Amino acid sequence: MTLSGRDAYRDQLTKLAEYNHNILCLEADLGGANHTFQSEFPDRFFNMGIAEMTSIDMAAGLAEAGYVPFFSTFAPFASLRAAESIKLAMGYMGKNIKVIAPYGGVSGGWFGTTHHSLEDIAIIRSFPNIKIACPYGEEDTRRVISEAASSLHPYYVRLSRNEAFASLEREEKSAFSALINQKGNGDVCLISIGEQGTELCKKIQENYPEISHVHLCYVDQSSLLDAVVQIKELGNEFLVVEEHRLAGGTASLLSILLPDKRVYSFDCGEEWPVYGGNHKETLAHLKFDSENLDRKITNILSDVVKPKI
Amino acid sequence: MIINQKLLTIDRLEVRSLEELSKKARETIVEIAATDTGCHIGGSLSVIDMLIALFVKFHSDDQSQIILSKGHAAAALYSVLYVKGILKDNPAESYGKSDSLLTGHPNHKIIGIPYSTGSLGHGIPYAAGWALAQKLKGSNGIGVAVCGDGELQEGLCWETFQVVQAKQIHNFVCVVDINGAQNDGYVHTISSLENLRERFESFGFETLEINGHDFEEIIRSLNIIGRSSKPLAILAHTVKGKGVPDIEGNPNSHYAKIPQRLKNKWKRSIL
Repeated sequence: MTLSGRDAYRDQLTKLAEYNHNILCLEADLGGANHTFQSEFPDRFFNMGIAEMTSIDMAAGLAEAGYVPFFSTFAPFASLRAAESIKLAMGYMGKNIKVIAPYGGVSGGWFGTTHHSLEDIAIIRSFPNIKIACPYGEEDTRRVISEAASSLHPYYVRLSRNEAFASLEREEKSAFSALINQKGNGDVCLISIGEQGTELCKKIQENYPEISHVHLCYVDQSSLLDAVVQIKELGNEFLVVEEHRLAGGTASLLSILLPDKRVYSFDCGEEWPVYGGNHKETLAHLKFDSENLDRKITNILSDVVKPKI
Repeated sequence: MIINQKLLTIDRLEVRSLEELSKKARETIVEIAATDTGCHIGGSLSVIDMLIALFVKFHSDDQSQIILSKGHAAAALYSVLYVKGILKDNPAESYGKSDSLLTGHPNHKIIGIPYSTGSLGHGIPYAAGWALAQKLKGSNGIGVAVCGDGELQEGLCWETFQVVQAKQIHNFVCVVDINGAQNDGYVHTISSLENLRERFESFGFETLEINGHDFEEIIRSLNIIGRSSKPLAILAHTVKGKGVPDIEGNPNSHYAKIPQRLKNKWKRSIL
Protein backbone atom coordinates (compact mmCIF):
# COMPACT_ATOMS: atom_id res chain seq x y z
CA MET A 1 0.00 0.00 0.00
CA THR A 2 1.31 3.41 -0.95
CA LEU A 3 1.77 5.71 2.03
CA SER A 4 0.88 9.40 2.23
CA GLY A 5 3.75 11.84 2.59
CA ARG A 6 3.38 12.27 6.31
CA ASP A 7 3.04 8.54 6.95
CA ALA A 8 6.08 7.94 4.76
CA TYR A 9 7.94 10.57 6.81
CA ARG A 10 7.18 8.88 10.11
CA ASP A 11 8.06 5.44 8.80
CA GLN A 12 11.28 6.53 7.13
CA LEU A 13 12.46 8.54 10.13
CA THR A 14 11.83 5.55 12.38
CA LYS A 15 13.92 3.37 10.08
CA LEU A 16 16.75 5.89 9.98
CA ALA A 17 16.70 6.32 13.76
CA GLU A 18 17.53 2.67 14.22
CA TYR A 19 21.03 3.37 12.89
CA ASN A 20 21.41 7.10 13.56
CA HIS A 21 21.06 7.44 17.30
CA ASN A 22 21.28 11.21 17.14
CA ILE A 23 17.92 11.53 15.40
CA LEU A 24 15.19 12.98 17.61
CA CYS A 25 11.52 13.32 16.73
CA LEU A 26 9.63 16.38 18.01
CA GLU A 27 5.93 17.03 17.54
CA ALA A 28 3.67 19.89 18.60
CA ASP A 29 0.59 17.83 19.42
CA LEU A 30 -0.27 17.11 15.79
CA GLY A 31 1.60 13.86 15.35
CA GLY A 32 -1.28 11.59 16.27
CA ALA A 33 -1.67 9.23 19.20
CA ASN A 34 -0.05 6.22 17.52
CA HIS A 35 3.18 7.67 16.22
CA THR A 36 5.51 4.98 14.86
CA PHE A 37 8.62 6.73 16.10
CA GLN A 38 7.21 7.07 19.59
CA SER A 39 6.44 3.35 19.70
CA GLU A 40 9.95 2.37 18.60
CA PHE A 41 12.04 5.03 20.32
CA PRO A 42 10.06 6.57 23.19
CA ASP A 43 13.21 8.08 24.74
CA ARG A 44 13.90 10.08 21.57
CA PHE A 45 10.33 11.21 20.93
CA PHE A 46 9.00 14.45 22.39
CA ASN A 47 5.49 15.75 22.08
CA MET A 48 6.34 19.32 23.04
CA GLY A 49 2.72 20.34 23.37
CA ILE A 50 1.25 23.21 21.38
CA ALA A 51 4.48 25.20 21.42
CA GLU A 52 5.87 25.76 17.93
CA MET A 53 8.37 28.56 18.59
CA THR A 54 9.72 26.85 21.68
CA SER A 55 10.04 23.58 19.76
CA ILE A 56 12.19 25.07 17.01
CA ASP A 57 14.29 27.12 19.44
CA MET A 58 14.83 24.12 21.69
CA ALA A 59 15.74 22.14 18.59
CA ALA A 60 18.52 24.72 18.10
CA GLY A 61 19.94 23.80 21.50
CA LEU A 62 19.59 20.09 20.74
CA ALA A 63 21.31 20.53 17.37
CA GLU A 64 24.10 22.54 18.98
CA ALA A 65 24.76 19.52 21.20
CA GLY A 66 25.05 17.22 18.19
CA TYR A 67 21.53 15.84 17.84
CA VAL A 68 19.53 15.87 14.59
CA PRO A 69 16.07 17.07 15.62
CA PHE A 70 13.15 16.56 13.23
CA PHE A 71 10.23 18.78 14.22
CA SER A 72 6.83 18.38 12.63
CA THR A 73 3.74 20.51 12.77
CA PHE A 74 1.28 21.82 10.18
CA ALA A 75 2.78 24.09 7.54
CA PRO A 76 0.85 27.27 8.49
CA PHE A 77 1.97 27.03 12.12
CA ALA A 78 5.57 26.15 11.31
CA SER A 79 6.09 28.81 8.67
CA LEU A 80 4.14 31.69 10.18
CA ARG A 81 3.82 31.32 13.95
CA ALA A 82 7.39 30.12 14.23
CA ALA A 83 8.77 32.19 11.34
CA GLU A 84 11.22 34.18 13.45
CA SER A 85 12.54 31.04 15.13
CA ILE A 86 13.12 29.48 11.72
CA LYS A 87 14.74 32.64 10.39
CA LEU A 88 17.18 32.96 13.27
CA ALA A 89 17.96 29.36 14.30
CA MET A 90 17.84 27.70 10.88
CA GLY A 91 18.47 30.46 8.35
CA TYR A 92 20.90 32.78 10.09
CA MET A 93 22.60 30.45 12.57
CA GLY A 94 22.32 27.37 10.34
CA LYS A 95 21.48 24.97 13.17
CA ASN A 96 20.91 21.45 11.91
CA ILE A 97 17.12 21.37 12.34
CA LYS A 98 14.62 19.66 10.05
CA VAL A 99 11.08 21.00 9.90
CA ILE A 100 8.54 18.62 8.38
CA ALA A 101 5.36 20.48 7.48
CA PRO A 102 2.24 18.57 6.42
CA TYR A 103 -0.96 20.44 5.51
CA GLY A 104 0.93 22.38 2.84
CA GLY A 105 -1.24 24.40 0.46
CA VAL A 106 -4.93 23.77 1.06
CA SER A 107 -4.57 20.06 1.71
CA GLY A 108 -6.46 20.61 4.98
CA GLY A 109 -9.61 21.11 2.83
CA TRP A 110 -12.60 21.42 5.14
CA PHE A 111 -10.38 22.29 8.12
CA GLY A 112 -10.63 25.87 6.88
CA THR A 113 -8.53 28.93 6.23
CA THR A 114 -6.54 28.90 9.48
CA HIS A 115 -5.13 25.51 8.52
CA HIS A 116 -4.14 26.40 4.96
CA SER A 117 -0.70 27.45 3.87
CA LEU A 118 -0.32 29.10 0.48
CA GLU A 119 2.51 31.38 1.59
CA ASP A 120 4.99 29.07 3.31
CA ILE A 121 7.43 28.53 0.44
CA ALA A 122 7.73 32.29 -0.08
CA ILE A 123 8.41 32.87 3.61
CA ILE A 124 10.94 30.09 4.09
CA ARG A 125 12.68 30.79 0.78
CA SER A 126 13.34 34.34 1.89
CA PHE A 127 15.61 32.94 4.64
CA PRO A 128 18.94 31.89 3.09
CA ASN A 129 20.55 28.52 3.97
CA ILE A 130 17.40 26.42 4.29
CA LYS A 131 16.80 23.53 1.89
CA ILE A 132 13.15 23.42 0.82
CA ALA A 133 11.71 20.18 -0.51
CA CYS A 134 8.19 19.47 -1.84
CA PRO A 135 8.33 15.75 -2.55
CA TYR A 136 5.75 14.06 -4.75
CA GLY A 137 4.75 10.64 -3.48
CA GLU A 138 6.03 8.11 -1.02
CA GLU A 139 9.39 7.21 -2.55
CA ASP A 140 10.54 10.81 -2.99
CA THR A 141 9.38 11.66 0.53
CA ARG A 142 11.53 8.82 1.85
CA ARG A 143 14.46 10.04 -0.26
CA VAL A 144 14.10 13.58 1.07
CA ILE A 145 13.90 12.45 4.71
CA SER A 146 17.03 10.33 4.25
CA GLU A 147 18.83 13.23 2.56
CA ALA A 148 17.79 15.57 5.36
CA ALA A 149 19.01 13.16 8.03
CA SER A 150 22.46 12.85 6.48
CA SER A 151 22.82 16.55 5.67
CA LEU A 152 24.11 19.30 7.94
CA HIS A 153 21.74 21.79 6.28
CA PRO A 154 18.52 22.93 7.89
CA TYR A 155 15.51 21.58 5.98
CA TYR A 156 11.89 22.61 5.44
CA VAL A 157 9.87 19.76 3.91
CA ARG A 158 6.39 20.62 2.69
CA LEU A 159 3.94 17.72 2.67
CA SER A 160 0.20 17.37 2.16
CA ARG A 161 -2.36 15.61 4.34
CA ASN A 162 -3.51 12.06 3.68
CA GLU A 163 -3.47 11.57 -0.10
CA ALA A 164 -1.03 8.89 -1.23
CA PHE A 165 0.85 8.88 -4.51
CA ALA A 166 3.52 6.74 -6.09
CA SER A 167 6.46 8.96 -7.01
CA LEU A 168 7.62 9.45 -10.58
CA GLU A 169 10.34 7.01 -11.47
CA ARG A 170 13.90 8.16 -11.03
CA GLU A 171 17.08 6.66 -12.32
CA GLU A 172 19.22 8.40 -9.75
CA LYS A 173 18.92 7.87 -6.00
CA SER A 174 18.87 11.53 -5.08
CA ALA A 175 15.80 13.76 -5.22
CA PHE A 176 17.98 16.80 -5.88
CA SER A 177 17.99 16.43 -9.66
CA ALA A 178 15.20 17.90 -11.73
CA LEU A 179 13.03 15.02 -12.86
CA ILE A 180 12.55 15.42 -16.59
CA ASN A 181 9.50 13.37 -17.29
CA GLN A 182 9.19 13.90 -21.01
CA LYS A 183 10.96 15.90 -23.67
CA GLY A 184 8.59 17.72 -25.99
CA ASN A 185 9.03 19.96 -29.00
CA GLY A 186 10.79 22.76 -27.15
CA ASP A 187 8.00 25.33 -27.15
CA VAL A 188 6.40 24.93 -23.76
CA CYS A 189 7.61 23.12 -20.67
CA LEU A 190 5.58 22.47 -17.54
CA ILE A 191 7.34 22.65 -14.20
CA SER A 192 5.44 20.95 -11.40
CA ILE A 193 5.97 21.56 -7.70
CA GLY A 194 4.41 19.37 -5.01
CA GLU A 195 1.81 16.67 -5.16
CA GLN A 196 -1.24 18.41 -6.63
CA GLY A 197 0.80 20.42 -9.13
CA THR A 198 2.44 17.23 -10.35
CA GLU A 199 -0.87 15.39 -10.52
CA LEU A 200 -2.29 18.15 -12.72
CA CYS A 201 0.74 18.09 -15.00
CA LYS A 202 0.58 14.32 -15.40
CA LYS A 203 -3.07 14.56 -16.37
CA ILE A 204 -2.62 17.49 -18.75
CA GLN A 205 0.16 15.70 -20.60
CA GLU A 206 -2.41 13.21 -21.84
CA ASN A 207 -3.90 16.07 -23.91
CA TYR A 208 -0.61 17.73 -24.81
CA PRO A 209 2.01 15.06 -25.58
CA GLU A 210 4.20 17.67 -27.25
CA ILE A 211 4.73 19.49 -23.94
CA SER A 212 7.66 18.66 -21.69
CA HIS A 213 7.14 18.16 -18.00
CA VAL A 214 9.78 18.70 -15.36
CA HIS A 215 9.16 17.92 -11.70
CA LEU A 216 11.27 19.83 -9.18
CA CYS A 217 11.45 18.43 -5.66
CA TYR A 218 13.88 20.96 -4.16
CA VAL A 219 12.78 24.58 -4.64
CA ASP A 220 15.06 26.69 -2.44
CA GLN A 221 17.03 29.33 -4.32
CA SER A 222 20.29 27.39 -4.34
CA SER A 223 18.60 24.26 -5.69
CA LEU A 224 16.74 26.25 -8.34
CA LEU A 225 20.02 27.74 -9.51
CA ASP A 226 21.24 24.19 -10.11
CA ALA A 227 17.95 23.17 -11.70
CA VAL A 228 17.89 25.92 -14.33
CA VAL A 229 21.13 24.55 -15.76
CA GLN A 230 19.35 21.24 -16.34
CA ILE A 231 16.06 22.58 -17.66
CA LYS A 232 16.81 25.76 -19.59
CA GLU A 233 17.12 23.93 -22.92
CA LEU A 234 13.76 22.23 -22.57
CA GLY A 235 11.70 25.14 -23.80
CA ASN A 236 11.37 28.85 -24.37
CA GLU A 237 8.15 29.09 -22.39
CA PHE A 238 7.90 27.62 -18.90
CA LEU A 239 4.68 27.23 -16.97
CA VAL A 240 5.16 26.60 -13.26
CA VAL A 241 2.27 24.69 -11.66
CA GLU A 242 2.40 25.17 -7.90
CA GLU A 243 -0.12 25.07 -5.06
CA HIS A 244 0.95 28.44 -3.67
CA ARG A 245 0.48 32.18 -4.08
CA LEU A 246 2.07 33.96 -7.02
CA ALA A 247 3.99 36.30 -4.71
CA GLY A 248 7.17 34.52 -3.68
CA GLY A 249 6.18 31.41 -5.59
CA THR A 250 8.61 29.35 -7.61
CA ALA A 251 7.51 30.99 -10.88
CA SER A 252 8.44 34.42 -9.57
CA LEU A 253 11.96 33.28 -8.74
CA LEU A 254 12.44 31.25 -11.92
CA SER A 255 11.43 34.27 -14.01
CA ILE A 256 14.53 35.99 -12.63
CA LEU A 257 16.77 32.92 -12.87
CA LEU A 258 15.72 32.36 -16.52
CA PRO A 259 16.00 35.89 -17.95
CA ASP A 260 15.98 34.71 -21.58
CA LYS A 261 12.78 32.66 -21.17
CA ARG A 262 9.15 33.42 -20.55
CA VAL A 263 7.98 32.05 -17.22
CA TYR A 264 4.26 31.80 -16.42
CA SER A 265 2.58 30.84 -13.20
CA PHE A 266 -0.39 28.59 -12.61
CA ASP A 267 -1.07 29.12 -8.93
CA CYS A 268 -3.82 29.53 -6.36
CA GLY A 269 -4.34 33.25 -6.97
CA GLU A 270 -5.14 35.93 -4.47
CA GLU A 271 -8.38 34.61 -2.99
CA TRP A 272 -8.70 33.25 0.55
CA PRO A 273 -9.95 29.67 0.52
CA VAL A 274 -13.11 30.02 2.63
CA TYR A 275 -15.19 26.98 1.65
CA GLY A 276 -15.20 23.42 2.93
CA GLY A 277 -14.76 20.30 0.86
CA ASN A 278 -11.88 17.95 0.25
CA HIS A 279 -8.47 19.00 -1.01
CA LYS A 280 -9.39 18.96 -4.69
CA GLU A 281 -12.70 20.74 -4.10
CA THR A 282 -10.92 23.46 -2.15
CA LEU A 283 -8.41 23.81 -4.97
CA ALA A 284 -11.23 24.04 -7.49
CA HIS A 285 -12.64 27.05 -5.61
CA LEU A 286 -9.24 28.66 -6.20
CA LYS A 287 -9.39 27.69 -9.91
CA PHE A 288 -6.41 25.38 -9.44
CA ASP A 289 -7.72 22.46 -11.48
CA SER A 290 -7.20 20.71 -14.79
CA GLU A 291 -9.80 22.77 -16.68
CA ASN A 292 -8.18 26.05 -15.77
CA LEU A 293 -4.72 24.67 -16.39
CA ASP A 294 -5.83 23.48 -19.81
CA ARG A 295 -7.14 26.98 -20.56
CA LYS A 296 -3.89 28.55 -19.45
CA ILE A 297 -1.85 26.22 -21.65
CA THR A 298 -4.11 26.89 -24.61
CA ASN A 299 -3.57 30.61 -24.18
CA ILE A 300 0.18 30.20 -23.94
CA LEU A 301 0.29 27.94 -26.99
CA SER A 302 -1.82 30.32 -29.07
CA ASP A 303 0.57 33.08 -28.11
CA VAL A 304 3.58 30.92 -28.95
CA VAL A 305 2.33 30.07 -32.45
CA LYS A 306 1.57 33.70 -33.28
CA PRO A 307 4.07 35.00 -35.82
CA LYS A 308 6.77 37.06 -34.11
CA ILE A 309 7.06 40.57 -35.57
CA MET B 1 14.07 23.89 50.10
CA ILE B 2 16.56 22.92 52.78
CA ILE B 3 19.98 24.28 51.88
CA ASN B 4 23.01 22.21 52.78
CA GLN B 5 25.15 24.19 55.24
CA LYS B 6 28.25 23.51 53.13
CA LEU B 7 26.72 25.64 50.42
CA LEU B 8 26.73 28.58 52.79
CA THR B 9 30.50 28.48 53.14
CA ILE B 10 31.90 31.17 50.92
CA ASP B 11 35.47 31.39 49.73
CA ARG B 12 36.57 34.98 50.38
CA LEU B 13 39.25 34.79 47.73
CA GLU B 14 36.65 33.71 45.21
CA VAL B 15 34.50 36.72 46.10
CA ARG B 16 37.43 39.12 45.84
CA SER B 17 38.49 37.65 42.51
CA LEU B 18 34.97 38.07 41.13
CA GLU B 19 34.79 41.65 42.39
CA GLU B 20 38.04 42.50 40.62
CA LEU B 21 36.88 40.93 37.36
CA SER B 22 33.58 42.72 37.68
CA LYS B 23 35.27 46.11 38.13
CA LYS B 24 37.38 45.53 35.00
CA ALA B 25 34.32 44.46 33.05
CA ARG B 26 32.41 47.58 34.18
CA GLU B 27 35.29 49.75 32.97
CA THR B 28 35.10 48.02 29.59
CA ILE B 29 31.34 48.58 29.42
CA VAL B 30 31.86 52.29 30.05
CA GLU B 31 34.51 52.35 27.31
CA ILE B 32 32.01 50.73 24.93
CA ALA B 33 29.43 53.37 25.87
CA ALA B 34 31.97 55.97 24.78
CA THR B 35 32.28 54.54 21.25
CA ASP B 36 30.64 56.13 18.22
CA THR B 37 27.57 53.94 18.63
CA GLY B 38 27.14 53.84 22.41
CA CYS B 39 25.50 50.81 24.00
CA HIS B 40 22.76 49.53 26.30
CA ILE B 41 24.77 50.54 29.32
CA GLY B 42 22.11 50.43 32.05
CA GLY B 43 21.17 46.77 31.58
CA SER B 44 24.78 45.80 30.94
CA LEU B 45 25.83 47.22 34.31
CA SER B 46 22.90 45.54 36.07
CA VAL B 47 23.61 42.05 34.73
CA ILE B 48 27.40 42.08 34.77
CA ASP B 49 27.91 40.59 38.24
CA MET B 50 25.67 37.59 37.55
CA LEU B 51 27.28 37.12 34.17
CA ILE B 52 30.82 37.22 35.54
CA ALA B 53 30.03 34.66 38.20
CA LEU B 54 28.30 32.33 35.74
CA PHE B 55 31.18 32.47 33.27
CA VAL B 56 33.82 31.91 35.91
CA LYS B 57 31.92 28.95 37.32
CA PHE B 58 30.62 27.22 34.20
CA HIS B 59 32.15 28.50 30.97
CA SER B 60 35.15 26.17 30.94
CA ASP B 61 32.75 23.22 31.26
CA ASP B 62 32.01 22.19 27.67
CA GLN B 63 28.86 20.39 28.79
CA SER B 64 27.26 23.64 29.96
CA GLN B 65 26.11 26.73 28.10
CA ILE B 66 25.37 30.22 29.39
CA ILE B 67 23.18 32.17 27.01
CA LEU B 68 22.58 35.89 27.31
CA SER B 69 18.95 36.04 26.26
CA LYS B 70 18.71 39.77 27.00
CA GLY B 71 20.97 40.33 24.03
CA HIS B 72 20.84 44.12 24.27
CA ALA B 73 23.33 43.73 27.11
CA ALA B 74 25.91 42.63 24.53
CA ALA B 75 28.43 45.09 25.99
CA ALA B 76 28.33 43.08 29.21
CA LEU B 77 28.85 39.79 27.38
CA TYR B 78 31.74 41.13 25.30
CA SER B 79 33.31 42.58 28.43
CA VAL B 80 33.05 39.26 30.28
CA LEU B 81 34.60 37.43 27.33
CA TYR B 82 37.38 40.04 27.32
CA VAL B 83 38.25 39.95 31.01
CA LYS B 84 38.09 36.14 30.85
CA GLY B 85 40.65 36.22 28.01
CA ILE B 86 38.30 34.65 25.43
CA LEU B 87 38.27 37.86 23.40
CA LYS B 88 41.88 38.94 22.95
CA ASP B 89 41.28 42.58 22.05
CA ASN B 90 39.37 45.20 24.01
CA PRO B 91 35.86 45.13 22.48
CA ALA B 92 35.64 48.92 22.80
CA GLU B 93 38.19 49.20 19.99
CA SER B 94 35.89 47.71 17.35
CA TYR B 95 32.38 47.62 18.84
CA GLY B 96 29.75 48.67 16.30
CA LYS B 97 32.28 49.43 13.58
CA SER B 98 32.14 48.33 9.97
CA ASP B 99 33.84 44.92 9.53
CA SER B 100 33.52 44.17 13.25
CA LEU B 101 31.51 41.19 14.46
CA LEU B 102 30.91 43.01 17.74
CA THR B 103 27.41 44.17 16.92
CA GLY B 104 24.95 45.78 19.30
CA HIS B 105 23.40 42.39 19.99
CA PRO B 106 25.50 39.20 20.41
CA ASN B 107 26.60 37.45 17.28
CA HIS B 108 27.06 33.67 17.09
CA LYS B 109 30.02 34.15 14.77
CA ILE B 110 32.06 35.34 17.75
CA ILE B 111 34.05 32.76 19.70
CA GLY B 112 32.31 31.90 22.97
CA ILE B 113 28.83 32.89 21.75
CA PRO B 114 26.83 29.89 20.48
CA TYR B 115 23.63 31.75 19.53
CA SER B 116 22.78 35.19 18.21
CA THR B 117 20.33 36.79 20.60
CA GLY B 118 18.60 40.12 20.88
CA SER B 119 15.09 39.40 19.70
CA LEU B 120 13.84 38.83 23.20
CA GLY B 121 12.74 35.47 24.52
CA HIS B 122 14.68 33.15 22.22
CA GLY B 123 17.68 32.58 24.48
CA ILE B 124 15.47 30.84 27.03
CA PRO B 125 14.44 27.94 24.74
CA TYR B 126 17.98 27.75 23.30
CA ALA B 127 19.21 27.07 26.84
CA ALA B 128 16.33 24.69 27.55
CA GLY B 129 17.15 22.73 24.37
CA TRP B 130 20.80 22.50 25.37
CA ALA B 131 19.78 21.33 28.86
CA LEU B 132 17.49 18.67 27.39
CA ALA B 133 20.37 17.47 25.20
CA GLN B 134 22.60 17.08 28.26
CA LYS B 135 19.85 15.22 30.06
CA LEU B 136 19.56 12.83 27.10
CA LYS B 137 23.31 12.29 27.12
CA GLY B 138 23.30 11.63 30.85
CA SER B 139 25.86 14.38 31.41
CA ASN B 140 26.02 16.82 34.30
CA GLY B 141 25.86 19.79 31.95
CA ILE B 142 23.37 22.59 32.39
CA GLY B 143 21.70 25.19 30.21
CA VAL B 144 21.55 28.69 31.69
CA ALA B 145 19.48 31.49 30.23
CA VAL B 146 20.12 35.02 31.50
CA CYS B 147 17.10 37.16 30.74
CA GLY B 148 15.70 40.52 31.69
CA ASP B 149 12.58 41.21 33.73
CA GLY B 150 11.01 43.17 30.89
CA GLU B 151 11.85 40.24 28.61
CA LEU B 152 9.43 38.09 30.58
CA GLN B 153 6.60 40.03 28.91
CA GLU B 154 7.33 37.87 25.84
CA GLY B 155 4.99 34.87 25.57
CA LEU B 156 7.81 32.66 24.29
CA CYS B 157 9.42 32.68 27.74
CA TRP B 158 6.36 31.18 29.40
CA GLU B 159 5.75 28.76 26.54
CA THR B 160 9.24 27.45 27.23
CA PHE B 161 8.82 27.29 31.01
CA GLN B 162 5.71 25.19 30.35
CA VAL B 163 7.76 22.74 28.26
CA VAL B 164 10.61 22.73 30.80
CA GLN B 165 8.13 21.71 33.47
CA ALA B 166 6.36 19.15 31.30
CA LYS B 167 9.59 17.48 30.13
CA GLN B 168 11.20 17.71 33.58
CA ILE B 169 14.31 19.51 32.37
CA HIS B 170 15.81 19.91 35.83
CA ASN B 171 19.23 21.00 34.60
CA PHE B 172 17.77 24.23 33.19
CA VAL B 173 18.49 27.48 34.99
CA CYS B 174 16.82 30.81 34.34
CA VAL B 175 18.52 33.87 35.79
CA VAL B 176 16.31 36.94 35.73
CA ASP B 177 18.05 40.30 35.91
CA ILE B 178 15.37 42.28 37.74
CA ASN B 179 16.54 45.86 37.24
CA GLY B 180 12.96 47.13 37.10
CA ALA B 181 13.27 49.07 33.87
CA GLN B 182 12.86 48.49 30.17
CA ASN B 183 13.24 50.51 26.97
CA ASP B 184 10.40 52.97 27.52
CA GLY B 185 10.48 53.25 31.30
CA TYR B 186 9.76 51.25 34.46
CA VAL B 187 8.51 47.67 34.12
CA HIS B 188 5.87 48.20 36.80
CA THR B 189 4.28 51.10 34.92
CA ILE B 190 4.34 49.42 31.50
CA SER B 191 3.36 45.79 32.16
CA SER B 192 3.96 44.81 35.74
CA LEU B 193 5.28 41.34 36.62
CA GLU B 194 3.17 40.62 39.67
CA ASN B 195 3.94 37.64 41.90
CA LEU B 196 6.94 36.65 39.84
CA ARG B 197 8.29 34.21 42.40
CA GLU B 198 4.92 32.51 42.69
CA ARG B 199 4.65 32.37 38.92
CA PHE B 200 7.94 30.50 38.61
CA GLU B 201 7.03 28.21 41.49
CA SER B 202 3.71 27.42 39.85
CA PHE B 203 5.69 26.42 36.74
CA GLY B 204 7.57 23.90 38.86
CA PHE B 205 10.77 25.89 39.45
CA GLU B 206 12.91 26.00 42.55
CA THR B 207 13.03 29.77 42.97
CA LEU B 208 15.63 31.87 44.74
CA GLU B 209 15.62 35.63 45.24
CA ILE B 210 18.99 37.25 45.68
CA ASN B 211 20.81 40.56 45.53
CA GLY B 212 22.31 40.30 42.03
CA HIS B 213 25.26 42.50 43.00
CA ASP B 214 26.30 40.61 46.13
CA PHE B 215 28.80 37.93 45.14
CA GLU B 216 28.30 35.98 48.34
CA GLU B 217 24.61 35.61 47.54
CA ILE B 218 25.35 34.94 43.89
CA ILE B 219 27.82 32.15 44.72
CA ARG B 220 25.38 30.57 47.16
CA SER B 221 22.67 30.53 44.51
CA LEU B 222 24.99 29.05 41.88
CA ASN B 223 26.15 26.38 44.30
CA ILE B 224 22.60 25.06 44.34
CA ILE B 225 22.71 24.34 40.61
CA GLY B 226 22.75 20.61 40.01
CA ARG B 227 21.53 19.81 43.51
CA SER B 228 17.85 20.53 43.02
CA SER B 229 15.32 18.09 41.63
CA LYS B 230 13.59 20.97 39.84
CA PRO B 231 14.60 23.56 37.26
CA LEU B 232 16.01 26.61 38.98
CA ALA B 233 14.95 30.25 38.69
CA ILE B 234 17.30 32.82 40.21
CA LEU B 235 15.51 36.13 40.59
CA ALA B 236 18.43 38.53 40.83
CA HIS B 237 17.38 41.95 42.10
CA THR B 238 19.69 44.45 40.48
CA VAL B 239 20.07 48.16 39.80
CA LYS B 240 20.11 49.60 36.32
CA GLY B 241 23.43 51.38 35.78
CA LYS B 242 24.89 49.75 38.90
CA GLY B 243 28.43 50.82 39.78
CA VAL B 244 28.38 54.18 38.01
CA PRO B 245 26.89 56.65 40.50
CA ASP B 246 25.80 59.15 37.85
CA ILE B 247 23.30 56.73 36.35
CA GLU B 248 22.52 54.19 39.07
CA GLY B 249 18.80 53.45 39.21
CA ASN B 250 17.96 55.73 36.33
CA PRO B 251 15.71 54.00 33.74
CA ASN B 252 16.92 56.51 31.17
CA SER B 253 20.31 54.77 31.28
CA HIS B 254 18.88 51.97 29.09
CA TYR B 255 20.94 53.19 26.15
CA ALA B 256 23.67 55.79 26.23
CA LYS B 257 26.44 57.20 24.13
CA ILE B 258 28.79 59.22 26.30
CA PRO B 259 31.52 61.74 25.48
CA GLN B 260 35.18 60.95 26.20
CA ARG B 261 35.35 63.29 29.20
CA LEU B 262 32.53 61.37 30.88
CA LYS B 263 34.18 58.05 30.10
CA ASN B 264 37.19 58.87 32.25
CA LYS B 265 35.04 60.32 35.03
CA TRP B 266 32.72 57.32 35.07
CA LYS B 267 35.59 54.82 35.01
CA ARG B 268 37.16 56.55 37.98
CA SER B 269 33.84 56.55 39.81
CA ILE B 270 33.13 52.83 39.48
CA LEU B 271 32.44 51.42 42.90
